[in-house]
Amino acid sequence: MKTADIVSAVVMLVLSGVVFATTRDLPYWADFAPGSAFAPFWVAATGAVLSIALFVGALRRQTNPPVDWPDRTGLQRVILTAAGLWAVIVLAPIIGLMATALLFMLFLLIFVERRRLVPSLFTTALTMALVYGVFSAWLGIAFPKGVLGI
Amino acid sequence: MIDSLVSLGQGFAIALTPMNLLFIFVGVCLGQLIGALPGLGPSAGMALLLPITFGIPPATAIMMLAGIMYGGMYGGTLTSVLVNVPGEAASVMTAVDGHRLAKQGRAGAALSVSAIGSFLAGVGAVIALVFVTPPLAEFALSFSSPEYFLLATLGITATASIGSGSPIKAILMAVFGLMIALVGTDPILGSARLTFGSTELLDGIDFLPVAIGIFGIAEVLASLEQSYDSEPIKTRLKDMWLSGKDWAECRIAILRGGVLGFLIGLMPGAGPTVAAILAYVTEKRFSRHPERFGNGALDGVAAAESANNSAAHGALIPMLALGIPGSASTAVLLAALVLQGIRPGPTLLVEQADLVWGLIASMFIGNVILLVLNLPLAPLFAALLRIPYEYLAPGILVISLVGAYATTLSLFSVGLTLFFGMVGYLMMKADLPRAPVVLAVVLASLMESSLRQSLMLSEGSLSIFVQRPLSAILLLLVIASLLLPLMSMFTRHRARRRSRNEQQISIATK
Repeated sequence: MKTADIVSAVVMLVLSGVVFATTRDLPYWADFAPGSAFAPFWVAATGAVLSIALFVGALRRQTNPPVDWPDRTGLQRVILTAAGLWAVIVLAPIIGLMATALLFMLFLLIFVERRRLVPSLFTTALTMALVYGVFSAWLGIAFPKGVLGI
Repeated sequence: MIDSLVSLGQGFAIALTPMNLLFIFVGVCLGQLIGALPGLGPSAGMALLLPITFGIPPATAIMMLAGIMYGGMYGGTLTSVLVNVPGEAASVMTAVDGHRLAKQGRAGAALSVSAIGSFLAGVGAVIALVFVTPPLAEFALSFSSPEYFLLATLGITATASIGSGSPIKAILMAVFGLMIALVGTDPILGSARLTFGSTELLDGIDFLPVAIGIFGIAEVLASLEQSYDSEPIKTRLKDMWLSGKDWAECRIAILRGGVLGFLIGLMPGAGPTVAAILAYVTEKRFSRHPERFGNGALDGVAAAESANNSAAHGALIPMLALGIPGSASTAVLLAALVLQGIRPGPTLLVEQADLVWGLIASMFIGNVILLVLNLPLAPLFAALLRIPYEYLAPGILVISLVGAYATTLSLFSVGLTLFFGMVGYLMMKADLPRAPVVLAVVLASLMESSLRQSLMLSEGSLSIFVQRPLSAILLLLVIASLLLPLMSMFTRHRARRRSRNEQQISIATK
């Protein structure tokens, strides 16, 4: 947990720096009132102070409880699921959001979670019917349609 | 008082229309299921289902979402008692004694006392809500921009002060939420901030991708780390009856837990989890048999479950009366109001009386439905726990993606949702609290605009925050909420150092 705290502190310190650097050209005070850079300045300053406090606290801490990382299989499942989710965004404009979502569900159930074929197909069909019924038929949302036209 | 009762009567007339009744039923059933699913809490469920509320009237949508919120408190008990995995965080204490009772063949009694306790505490909290909300909202009408800035700040700092875990991390995560909210166009001067040249970011980052990502996707990813092929302990309808002795043992625990939960629910940042833990600890202190706590204490289960439901209802008071959410769930509910084009705040009770009183009435109805679902139908819901979670997780992810797309009809929003999903997962691993991020995203615009308006009024002088007694009190509360965790950290540090020194002395004398 010590390393996780140090990494969190560094990330937040960098983010605070980015907020400060990208808004420093904006006015801090404009005539009678605080300008556009007023809030970013104070948010970045608070973020930097707290990040340093977290960093110093983590360095000085003597106990080091372990981070609850998953085992190898668990990590593999998380990475594959995350990759599948990002693939949905890449493929949705090409083959359509509904078709991509369907493929994603099958990929997750059969390849990642290694579930049996028939219940996986049943679950996918049920979910897609629910999604289509609620979002497309009821709410009238027009999903991106790809080359397949669905 | 009479006015409140008349308004409540009108609220019942609204809540009892067939369409509203149907959506209250759908909401509490979904809440019950979401609460029972390990790895998906009520806030995540509400955020995931927010996009589907676009097609229904605002009052109906809010009734349904609130149903998910308090339904989740009932649902979490099932998994805690029958599987020993808390369905949601607020049921963590129930898992301790509830599962022990289930192993002793008393699952029915544990589920029964939880349902009755949740119902009584929930109804009690709604009655209190009826009488506390209107005067508080009326009082809040005298608030101006300095009070609003301080109140929104208190909403964030209190999360760090009262919530469990590291206060530094909690405030740091609130700062992260404020950074997210800064992205977009400055609301007063119109200049672009932190958009990095992206036109999609000019409108800012919406609340929904953040909430769906940080709560929904992150929790599903974390739950996919391990398999949940669990075998829940079976329970039968005839086991659900409580004996006279059980009832005598639990009635005061329900009362104590309910009152404590309600008071904690009122405080910004505390919420049902803190309420359940405090009620359990308090009950142990008052109990004639504290040794039973941890080994199957029915009164411990009663206190924790009453407290979490009461707190979930109590948290609605600052949200409805002041427009300040005190917990992650009420932050989602507040965002739902904003998405429906309704301006939250003290005027809500006047401008949207039908919505507010309809919502309050719906909570009486919802609690009755949940009592029925959790007493005679508990074995049926318990049977649903046999469906492996792995079959549900892909569906939840697909609904998250489609829901994120539905809010803006743009794949960019889906990308943002996924990004925050990954961030949320890493936050869970690094033990960083996620609720302050969402609370800060919701409160940021109120905070910034009221701060700038205050400084505009005072021509830059900070004295505006102490000129009125009310703002001075709020400022003191903000300072106290920041000092309290610092003082407790300092005391803990000193105690640790003293015990280390004593150990060294004892080793040296040996």
